[in-house]
Parts: sequence; C-alpha cells; structure tokens
Amino acid sequence: MAQLRQDDREFFKRNTRVIVVGPEGPQAFSTYWKKHDLPFIGLPDPGASVLKLYGQEVNLFKLGRMPAQVMIDKTGTVRFVHYGHSMSDIPENGELFTLLDQING
Amino acid sequence: MPRVDLNTPAPDFTLQDFNSNPVSLSDFKGKANVLLIFNRGFT
Repeated sequence: MAQLRQDDREFFKRNTRVIVVGPEGPQAFSTYWKKHDLPFIGLPDPGASVLKLYGQEVNLFKLGRMPAQVMIDKTGTVRFVHYGHSMSDIPENGELFTLLDQING
Repeated sequence: MPRVDLNTPAPDFTLQDFNSNPVSLSDFKGKANVLLIFNRGFT
C-alpha cells in the first residue's frame, strides 16, 4: 500500500483513479486511511459483494484473500487483470503505467 | 467464483466509501480510467 501511495500521483497524471476494495468495515478503513494519509478511494465491502463479483480468490491454506488488480478504461472495458497467487504476487506499477500510456494514446 | 475477462465490460457496482458516500464504477465512465485493487487486508 505504501508503494501505491507513492505512485498515486503518477496514476492521477494518467487520468486514472485508484480504488481499493477490501472486506473490512468502514471503521477499519477510516482508521487505516487516516493513519497512512492515503489519497485514493477506499471502499469497505464487508459483505464481499464486489469481491465476489470480480472473483477475488480466497486461499484457506494461505490464510486469506489473494491480491487482485483490474484496470478499467474510460469506456468501462477491462484492459488488465491480475489475480495474485500469493500475498506478494502484485504487478509492478511501472507495468501499469506503460499500459495506461498505451490506453491514453 | 466468477472472474472478469480482458476486453469485456467491467461489471458495475456501487459501494459506500467509509464516509458513507456512494461510489459507483459507472461514475468514472467517460471521465477517467480506474485501477481497482482488491486488498488482502490491513494487517
């Protein structure tokens, strides 16, 4: 999350809004956002409706939800999907910037 | 469990942010790209 915070400006420059969805409740989100001064949108999803809609994996053996990233362009079309297979399986933001530069043409 | 596929329409959704403001994916249509991040938790 710290890397994401550092790179938020780069996403913003590429006309991209970052939205973080998680299974925690509003209070946990609020506390975490204030503690870390996070600039992006945080959406509590304690009912896991969107987490399920987008197919975030739950790995019982690895004790939790696997990270996932989905890039959606201005037309509402999915342009990048990454479902992590471990807690640290997260794409480099540089890879996403390259894709965004292509999307924005 | 469903997954989204490349080059298909992203499923729309509406959730409230932690200040109780509704946020929909469709709010950004025609305006900005969106990077959706599904977090593993704040531990």
